[in-house]
Amino acid sequence: MLDCLKELTALNAVSGDEGAVREYILRRIEGFCETTVDPLGNILAWKKGKQRAQKKIMLDAHMDEVGLIISSVTEDGFLKCKTVGGIDTSVLMFRQVKIGEINGVIGGKPIHLLGEGERKKLPDPDCLTIDIGAASKEEALRMVHLGDRAVITGEFCRMGDVIKAKAIDDRVGCAILISLLQEEAEYDFCAVFSVQEEIGLRGARTAAYTVDPQAALVLEATTAADIAGVSEENRVCRLGQGPAVSFMDRSTLYDRAYYEAALASGIPCQPKAAVAGGNNAGAVHLSRGGVRTLAISVPCRYLHSPSCMAHVQDMENAKKLARYLLEGIASGRIV
Amino acid sequence: MNIKDCLFALSEADGAGCLTAASDLALAKLREFVPAERGQGLTVIARLPGKTEHTIMIDAHIDQVSMVVTDVDEEGFLTVAKAGGFDLRALPSRPVTVHGKEAIPAVFCATPPHLAKGERDYTDLSEIKLDTGLGSHAKELVSPGDVVTFSAKPIELAGDKVSGRSLDDRAGVVCLLALAERLAGKELPCEVWLVLSDGEELGLRGVRPAAYTVQPDEAIAVDVTFGDGPGISPEECGKLGAGPMIGYSPALDRAVSDKLEQIAKEHDIPYQTEVMGASTGTNADAIGISRGGVKACTLSIPLRNMHTETEVISLSDVENTVALLERYLLAGGIADA
Repeated sequence: MLDCLKELTALNAVSGDEGAVREYILRRIEGFCETTVDPLGNILAWKKGKQRAQKKIMLDAHMDEVGLIISSVTEDGFLKCKTVGGIDTSVLMFRQVKIGEINGVIGGKPIHLLGEGERKKLPDPDCLTIDIGAASKEEALRMVHLGDRAVITGEFCRMGDVIKAKAIDDRVGCAILISLLQEEAEYDFCAVFSVQEEIGLRGARTAAYTVDPQAALVLEATTAADIAGVSEENRVCRLGQGPAVSFMDRSTLYDRAYYEAALASGIPCQPKAAVAGGNNAGAVHLSRGGVRTLAISVPCRYLHSPSCMAHVQDMENAKKLARYLLEGIASGRIV
Repeated sequence: MNIKDCLFALSEADGAGCLTAASDLALAKLREFVPAERGQGLTVIARLPGKTEHTIMIDAHIDQVSMVVTDVDEEGFLTVAKAGGFDLRALPSRPVTVHGKEAIPAVFCATPPHLAKGERDYTDLSEIKLDTGLGSHAKELVSPGDVVTFSAKPIELAGDKVSGRSLDDRAGVVCLLALAERLAGKELPCEVWLVLSDGEELGLRGVRPAAYTVQPDEAIAVDVTFGDGPGISPEECGKLGAGPMIGYSPALDRAVSDKLEQIAKEHDIPYQTEVMGASTGTNADAIGISRGGVKACTLSIPLRNMHTETEVISLSDVENTVALLERYLLAGGIADA
C-alpha cells in the first residue's frame, strides 16, 4: 500500500485534471472489479464479494489535489495564475512547480528589496507569478496553454514511521481503496474515486447519485495539528493514534451509530476533536433521499502543502477500520 | 568543463559551517586545472603566477545561506536560527535537511487553517518550529549547533535559464572554475589569485583573512545581483541574459570599472552597469579596505529570487562573465593605469 501511495503522490492531478491518477488507478484495479467512468471523470468500481450486502455501500476517495491554474501571461513571459482549492500563500512562495512536463518556479521580490512592512505580511496571491524561463509572452505561450494546471512539487520521503509527500490528501484514501479492491471482499461494495473534491465536492455528488448507496464511508486525510506551539485542545487529532472519525464538521453531521461503532471497534482510532474542515461526506450524505455516512480520515500535518506528513500505522488502521465498518454494515451487524 | 553540470553539482553540494561538500568539490575541480589549497574554513585559494608582480584577486564566495539548530524538544520539534538572511514568510511547510548524526529530512511547521486567525508575524524564526516527524527519537540524532540547509534540487527552465538554491554564489564559483580552466598553461601578464571564500553570508567574513593573505593590488568580487522580474523596478535590477553587471560605486575603484567596460566593448562581450550609492553588499567592500587598501570592483550575475530555493540565472551571463574576466586578466587589469 505504501509503494502504491508513493506512486500516486508522484502523479499530478489538480482538480478537473485528474487523468493521470485515474489511468493509474484503472490499471491497478483492472481484473479485480467492474469499472465505469462517469461524465465528470469519476471512477465507479463495483466489487463483487463472497456474499450480497444487506445495504448498498459506497466507499469514496478523491483523486484531485490543490494546485494552480494558469490564467494569463505577462508581456515578458511570466505566468499569472489562480489557486485551485485552498492554498496558503506561504506555501506558494518561492517553490518549484510542474506544468505537465515543464519546469517552473514561483518568484517574487527578494527579501533585500522588501520594505519593513512588506516583510511582515504575506503578499497577495495574485502577485505571485510562475517563471518558466520564457523571455516573452510568445515564447511562454508556445510552452503552456491558458487553463493548464501547475502543481507545487514535493518529494516522497520517509521520516521514521512518518511519510512526507505532496497530495497525501487524498491519495492516501485512493491507496486504501485500491488495496481493498485488490483483496478478496466478504461483501459487495462500490468504490468511487472521485474528481473535483477540492473545488466544492462536485465529483462525489454525481457519483453518489449514480451509485445510489444506502450507506457511505468517505476515506480522507484530515488536518492534524499536533505540532509545536499548538495547545492540547486545539490539536484536532494526532499522528500515530489511528484514523480520525468525525461527529461533525463544516459540511456534515455524521451518522451517530457508525461513529460509535468505529470508536467501539477495538481498532485504534480517535475522534476528530474539532468542528472544522469538510469532505465529500458533505455531498454524499445529502444525495437523493439521504445517505448514512461516516468519514475515516488519516491524520495529516500540513495538509494542502507539498510536505504533507502522515503516519504509516494510521494508514493501515484506516484500512482496517474501513473493512470492519463495511462488513459490519453489509452484514447487518452494525445498524 | 560543462558550465551547467558543474553549477548543478555545486548547487546540490552543501557549503555552510562544517559542511564542506561544495568546498571539496570546487577544490577538486580547481585542481584539475591549477594548483589550489584550502584556506581558513571553507575557503579555497589558487595562485597563478604572472610575468609581473601586479597581483589581481578574483573572488567568489563558496558559502550559502543556512540555519543552525538551537533547541530540540521532546516531541521532535526543532528551534533554529538564521545563518544568513532569507524570507521567513516562505518557510511554512518547506522541506529542509537537518545535518545531525545523519542527514534528516524535516519540514517547517505551518499553522493549521482552524488556528490561522488574522495576520501572522513572520519576523521571528524562533516561532516557526521545524518538524522532524521523529518524536522523542529526534534528540538522539540532532543537537544544538547542527546545520540545517534548504534542499531543492536544481532544475532547467526554458532557454538557457536554470533554477536552484545557492546559485548565490555558486554561479560566481563556477565562473572562477571555468576561468582556471581557460587560464591554465597561459602566460599571464600579472599574478592572478582565485579565491573561493567562506562566510560571505555571515557578513563578508571569510574574505578578510583571504585578502590579507593574498595582498592584491586590485580585486574583483564575482557575485550575483538582483535580476528582473514582476514587481521589481527596472532601475534596481539587471536583465537576465543581457550580460554581467559591472559595478560603479563610491566604494569601488573607478579605474577597474572603466577598464572592465573598455575590455567588454573591445571584445563585444555583452555587459550591463550596476550603480550603487554606497557599499555594494559584496566581498568587494571588505577586500577594498584590506591592509593598506585594494582597488576593488564588482562583476555581478543577475539573479532572480535571491536567497531562495528558486534562484534563477541565465547561463549566458555566466559564460560572458568568464569571457570578460579572461580578457581582463590577459590584458593585465589596470597594471598600466
